Amino acid sequence: MRRRKKKDGLVMGELAIQEQSDIDISLASQQGEVLSDSSASVSQRRRGHKIVTIDLKAQFGRVQVLRGINLEIKERSITAIMGPSGCGKTTFIRCLNRLHELTPGASVTGRVILDGEDIYSPKVNPVLVRRKIGMVFQKPNPFPTMSVYDNVAAGLKLNGVRDKAKLDEAVERSLKLAFLWDEVKDDLKKSGAALSGGQQQRLCIARALAVEPEVILMDEPCSALDPTATAKIEEAIFELKKDYTIVIVTHNMQQAARVADYTAFFYLGELIEYGNTEQIFENPKNELTERYITGKFG
Amino acid sequence: MPRLMDMGLSKLTNVILQMAELSKKSVATSMEGFRNGRTVIDQIYQWSEELRELEDETNELATEIIARYQPVASDLRYIEACLAISNGFFRFGRYAYDIAEVLQMFGDLSNCEKKIVEETAATAEEMLQMSIEAFLKRDVELAKKIKLMDDIVDTNYREHIGRSMNDPKGDLKCVMSTTLILRYLERIADHADYIGDLVVYITTGFRVTNFRKSLPLGQEQQTTGKKAKLQGKPQPFYDGKN
Repeated sequence: MRRRKKKDGLVMGELAIQEQSDIDISLASQQGEVLSDSSASVSQRRRGHKIVTIDLKAQFGRVQVLRGINLEIKERSITAIMGPSGCGKTTFIRCLNRLHELTPGASVTGRVILDGEDIYSPKVNPVLVRRKIGMVFQKPNPFPTMSVYDNVAAGLKLNGVRDKAKLDEAVERSLKLAFLWDEVKDDLKKSGAALSGGQQQRLCIARALAVEPEVILMDEPCSALDPTATAKIEEAIFELKKDYTIVIVTHNMQQAARVADYTAFFYLGELIEYGNTEQIFENPKNELTERYITGKFG
Repeated sequence: MPRLMDMGLSKLTNVILQMAELSKKSVATSMEGFRNGRTVIDQIYQWSEELRELEDETNELATEIIARYQPVASDLRYIEACLAISNGFFRFGRYAYDIAEVLQMFGDLSNCEKKIVEETAATAEEMLQMSIEAFLKRDVELAKKIKLMDDIVDTNYREHIGRSMNDPKGDLKCVMSTTLILRYLERIADHADYIGDLVVYITTGFRVTNFRKSLPLGQEQQTTGKKAKLQGKPQPFYDGKN
């Protein structure tokens, strides 16, 4: 006789209905270096996967930090990566835009397929990869000597855009997307360093958005911010997923629970569990995940 | 090392166990009043009020734990289930009070046939006890057994109504009091069944009610007698001959 209303995720609604992550990894891995027109690419796009990692391993010298990560990141969604310190979260996202290899002694094996194309293919220019996959770091790092306007326009200027109208349009659009426009529009000449910590971080998000990336990686973007600034960043992130694919590394599990559609749990360089956020936080399948998120770890 | 949240969870468990004890006592006492014709309403009212207060305490504790510790996974499931379970125990107390009120209203029932009520009460009380044990031991198998017993109580209730509707010579006082008491016992059995479902949820994360809803109609009917009656073609109690 009991009646219960249908239970939907509080925030996610339609997104809580997890698609079957059934991309044929073996098929993708059998393709040639450039997969743009391959069947794997079509399959990947059709099923909404923006990035697929296949047996991704990363080392610092002899130390293996990632031990073969197979993960499919859904397009236009927020994926949170959580896990204890040293589990490889940051290294993982740094492998997604080829930043990891810039560290002396660091190396990567395996594949990272972005829109059907392996970004580690010799034919691929890492600079172009980084333009497609923007990044926001833990500590807000605006260019300190530049104005708010120049901070946002810097990437475009580096790419040769000189048209003032185009730059103005891009700066306004990016600042609006980062939920910062209303707070800085009256004084765009102000130094980026003069903003508050939360505003600086949103400025960094705007800077990343200005070059029109498709994916935004965020490495603990709120860990240096107070709750109000954190809430603003989270609102911005939530809005951004309409057009962007977002991967966020966070130590704050509540943050993952609040904003992410999908959550991955890493431990000792391995992917332990990946699923929709509601499932991970209500009913994790893996004992390690359960122990980590309930604080019974170690 | 115990977590800070564990203190809160342990307090919550203690309140639930207090409620379990009190609600069991209330139902047993109301049935004793039925068997012996003893007035029990005042005592049961007092217990039922205590249960109400304990339910409020459960709500406050659960809210505090959520606010302080943001529980997830098995902790969150436990707290969610405790809120529903405490309401179940409160309901047991209320139904025991309702039975006591029937005894008060109808007075002497010594001439009434008591067998069906006693049988049904024995089953309902056993289900209540099983629900407490299942909760204490997180015993999923025991929780599943409760569901099977629910059909006995439902059948007794419905058969009694069917018989009474077709028996114009029946003693109205006996018919009405028996009907009401059986109805309250049927509700008690239902709540024991729900507590069993919640034990399954705490332990496995599996929501039994969602599972039921996901089944095709025919199969869903087989899961409980009640569902079958609700969704199958209703059978009239009264055949219109009298």
